[in-house]
Amino acid sequence: MYAQFFGSFLLSKNAVTPEQLTAAITKMSDTHIKLGTLAMHKGYMTASEVDEVCFLQTREDKRFGEIALERNYLFEDQLDDLLKSQNPDFLLLGQCLVDMGALSNKQLESLMVDYQEENEIVDVSAKSESAEKTQKLIEHYFVIAEKPITDHALMYMQLIFNNLVRFIGEDFTPLSPIPCSEYTTNYCTAQIVTGQIKCTSMIDMQPEVAVAFASRYAKMDFTEFDEYVKASLEDFLNLHNGIFLVNMSNNYSMELNLEPPYHDEAPVLKLTEDSFVIPVIYPFGTIFLLLTI
Amino acid sequence: MDLNGKKVLVGDDSILARKQLIDTVKGYGEGATFIEAKNGQEAVELYKENSPDICFLDIVMPVMDGVAAVKNIVEFDKQAIVIIVSSVGTQSMLKAAIDAGAKDFIQKPIEKEQVEHVLEAHLEG
Repeated sequence: MYAQFFGSFLLSKNAVTPEQLTAAITKMSDTHIKLGTLAMHKGYMTASEVDEVCFLQTREDKRFGEIALERNYLFEDQLDDLLKSQNPDFLLLGQCLVDMGALSNKQLESLMVDYQEENEIVDVSAKSESAEKTQKLIEHYFVIAEKPITDHALMYMQLIFNNLVRFIGEDFTPLSPIPCSEYTTNYCTAQIVTGQIKCTSMIDMQPEVAVAFASRYAKMDFTEFDEYVKASLEDFLNLHNGIFLVNMSNNYSMELNLEPPYHDEAPVLKLTEDSFVIPVIYPFGTIFLLLTI
Repeated sequence: MDLNGKKVLVGDDSILARKQLIDTVKGYGEGATFIEAKNGQEAVELYKENSPDICFLDIVMPVMDGVAAVKNIVEFDKQAIVIIVSSVGTQSMLKAAIDAGAKDFIQKPIEKEQVEHVLEAHLEG
C-alpha cells in the first residue's frame, strides 16, 4: 500500500500539483524504473551524482551503470544489487514526476526519505505488509487531511483500499479526501449498511471509466456501458460491504444489515460533515469514493 | 459431471453474478437448463413453475430477500435443494439460511471448487 499513498503524500507537501500527479500516474504503466532512481533510493548515490551521470550519458554513448562505476559513484557489488533488486512501486511514480520536470532528483530524494521516515517504512521492498502498517498509512492519510475518523471508519477505509487492490488492481493513487457539501455525480452506484453502524457507500465515475473498472472487476473485456458494467459496479460494492459485515461480525460480534445496491440518479448529492469524498486515480481514469460513516 | 436434463434456478439481482454462476456450473458439465430470477419473489414463482433440481440464491435482493425466498420454497417443496450464494457470510446469516431450509452456503467471491463440491454433494445421484 506504500506505493498508493506516496501520491497523496506529495500533494500534502505541495511538492506537485494534482494535474502533474495525474499525468505521472497515467505515464506509469509505460515506464520502467531507472538505475539512477534506484541508486538514490538505496543511498548508493546522491542526487547530484545521479544528475552528473545523466548529463554525461548525453555526452558519452555509455550506460548509466558504466559511467557511475568509472566515476566511482558505485561499486561493482552495488551495481549488481541494483540490477537484481525488486523495485518499490512508489519509486516509479517519483521517477515519472522527475521525467516530466515536476520534480528534480534532489527534491525526489528528500521526499522519499521523508515519506519513509514519516511512515516508519523500514523495508520497502518487502511485498508482504502487515495490517498494522497499512492502518498507520491510512491514519496518517487522514491526519494530513485533517479529518477526524472513528475506528470503524478507519477499518472500513482500510478494507475498501484492500478490496480495490484485490479486485480492481493495485495501480492506483488515492488523493486527499475532499471536503464538500454538494457533489455533482457522473454515474453513481450506492449501497447502505444499517444497524449499529450506519454507512452509505457510493462509487461514482464517468461511464467510460466504469467500462474499464468493470472489465477489471469481472475479468472480462467490456466495450460498452451496458447492464453488465452497471452490475459490476454494484457487485463490487456489494462484495466489499459484505466482507465488511463479515469482519464486523467475526471481530466485534456486531451484526449489521445490508440493503441491495442501487444506482443513485440524483444529479447532485447533498453531503454532510461526516462524508468523505476520496478521488482514486487509476491509469484508466478516476473513481470517486463517497462515504458517509 | 453429467448435468443432462438438470434444471438449475439462479436467483440474484445482478445480471453479472447470475452469468458468472451459470458459466461456472456449465464449466463442470453439459446439458443443464438454466432459469434466472432477479429477486426472491421471482425465484419463488419460477421455482413453483419449473421445479428445478437445484436452486442458487443470493441473499441481498430487492422485493424479497434470499432467506425469505428459501422459506417459501421449502414450504412449497420439502425436498428443495437451495444453496445460498452471498457476500454476507456472517454467522447469523448462515444460521438464518440453514434454519430457513438452505442446504449449503457459498461465500462470494465464488471459488469454482465450492460450486463443484455443491453440485457433487447435492445434485449427483
